[in-house]
Amino acid sequence: MLRLGRLFLRVVSLTIQRELAHRVNLFFQATLALTQVAAGLAALSVIYTHVNTLAGWTAAQATLLLGIYEIVSGLLQAFIEPNLAFFSNKIYGGELDDLLLQPAPSLFTASFSTCQPWALAEVGLGMLIGGLSATHLGSIPTAGGIVAALLLLLVGIIIMWASRVLLASLAFWAQGLELSVLYSGWWQLGRYPITIYPGPIRWVLTYIVPVAFIATFPAYALTHPLDPLLLAGGAAAALGALVAMRLVWRAALRRYTSATS
Amino acid sequence: MRQMSRLLAAYIRRYVLQWLAARSFVLTLVVDQGITPLIGLAVWAAALPGQPGIKTYYVALLVVQLFTVSYEQHTFSNRVYEGQLADDLLRPHPVLLASLGENIAVRGFHVVIGLPIILMAGWVAGARFGWADVALAAPALLLAAALRFLFTALLSLSAFWTEQAHGITGLGNTLIFLLGGTAVPVALLPGPLQALGAALPFPAMLGFPAEVAAGQLTPGMMLSGYSWQLGWIAVSAALLLVVWRAGVRRYTAVGG
Repeated sequence: MLRLGRLFLRVVSLTIQRELAHRVNLFFQATLALTQVAAGLAALSVIYTHVNTLAGWTAAQATLLLGIYEIVSGLLQAFIEPNLAFFSNKIYGGELDDLLLQPAPSLFTASFSTCQPWALAEVGLGMLIGGLSATHLGSIPTAGGIVAALLLLLVGIIIMWASRVLLASLAFWAQGLELSVLYSGWWQLGRYPITIYPGPIRWVLTYIVPVAFIATFPAYALTHPLDPLLLAGGAAAALGALVAMRLVWRAALRRYTSATS
Repeated sequence: MRQMSRLLAAYIRRYVLQWLAARSFVLTLVVDQGITPLIGLAVWAAALPGQPGIKTYYVALLVVQLFTVSYEQHTFSNRVYEGQLADDLLRPHPVLLASLGENIAVRGFHVVIGLPIILMAGWVAGARFGWADVALAAPALLLAAALRFLFTALLSLSAFWTEQAHGITGLGNTLIFLLGGTAVPVALLPGPLQALGAALPFPAMLGFPAEVAAGQLTPGMMLSGYSWQLGWIAVSAALLLVVWRAGVRRYTAVGG
């Protein structure tokens, strides 16, 4: 585990060194990411010029949620998407063979071989938005609330990684089925509290495709009294996601026949 | 002109057949394009539950979004980056005619594949449209489609100067999302921004036809909206011509 941690840091360090050779590109991409975050924040601000609460969430609470959403989105863009987006091309182009030959677990090499450092700007801005909005909540979050929120944030990150691996793995069974764009569209649903959606959609977003764990539940934990059931549900969801990811990945690799010779 | 129409029809046919092979991918594009109007619908229906007109607006916006999608940063800019533009320049017709043909074909797929989503959203939201409003919105929809193509193509021409055409077009799409009526209907923008917003090209290519279809505009506002659309189309077309000429002069093909 420690060795994988070191390997991950080495990958990040090498990628940053490589990217720094193209500073203008890095700056432009980071600016673009920040513009998108600013657009989301502006849209939320306009909503709260018309209402005091949105589906039970105050402006500060919804902004905190947006901050958390941007943190997880930034991590997705920085570490997961550059590896698993359009993964079917790697399978059918033979690039996966290179990843499998490396002396590290295949799930690790498939998920963390490269990164996009510019997306970390989104993580930074998400932290800033979340931190600033937390000071406007009206009540100071309890220590228990902060721990619960951090745990649920971890659950959100695990679900983000596992769901992306599961979706990428579909390409092992269905040639030509590329759902990367669908995932990015679906991901947008986590931007607002899931209580804004009608009942059946909310149920799907909580239990089937748990987008609710990305931002809504961590923000809820920070702004409401501690809910042990929510924490237990989060732990179960993270564990379930990890087990499903591992089982599906192993089944996918058993099915895989090299594309190259 | 007749020859140009025949060529355009041939390109549309060609790209319909080409994209037919990628219909499962188009389905993912439709979901991706449709998700922001649907989120807008959910947000504003929750924020202002007493205004049923807002639901009708967002269902109309979903139609406009799918009818006006433009991907010239992929269909055109990538041809510049990969050198295929050299082949296109040898053809005896305007190069962007092929991009226009592909644009119309892709939009056709978006509307057809997106139809079940539109009908479902309309049914769930209880959207109600008047025939007269829909008839008045039809020309606005066509003008919005033309303007969005010109706008996206214009941004995609940045590929002649920079490798960031995808990012620049992404920036344009963020502005369309924020000021075009998706994130917030233009009528709900804060006071000073409202007048400015209506004059910008973004509502002209998205929110304006939806507002007309939802019956939210007075005749005066409608006239003003149509004027802005025509004005922005003229400006964008002129800019496209100027930038195209400058870009082609700069373009250097490698290989032979």
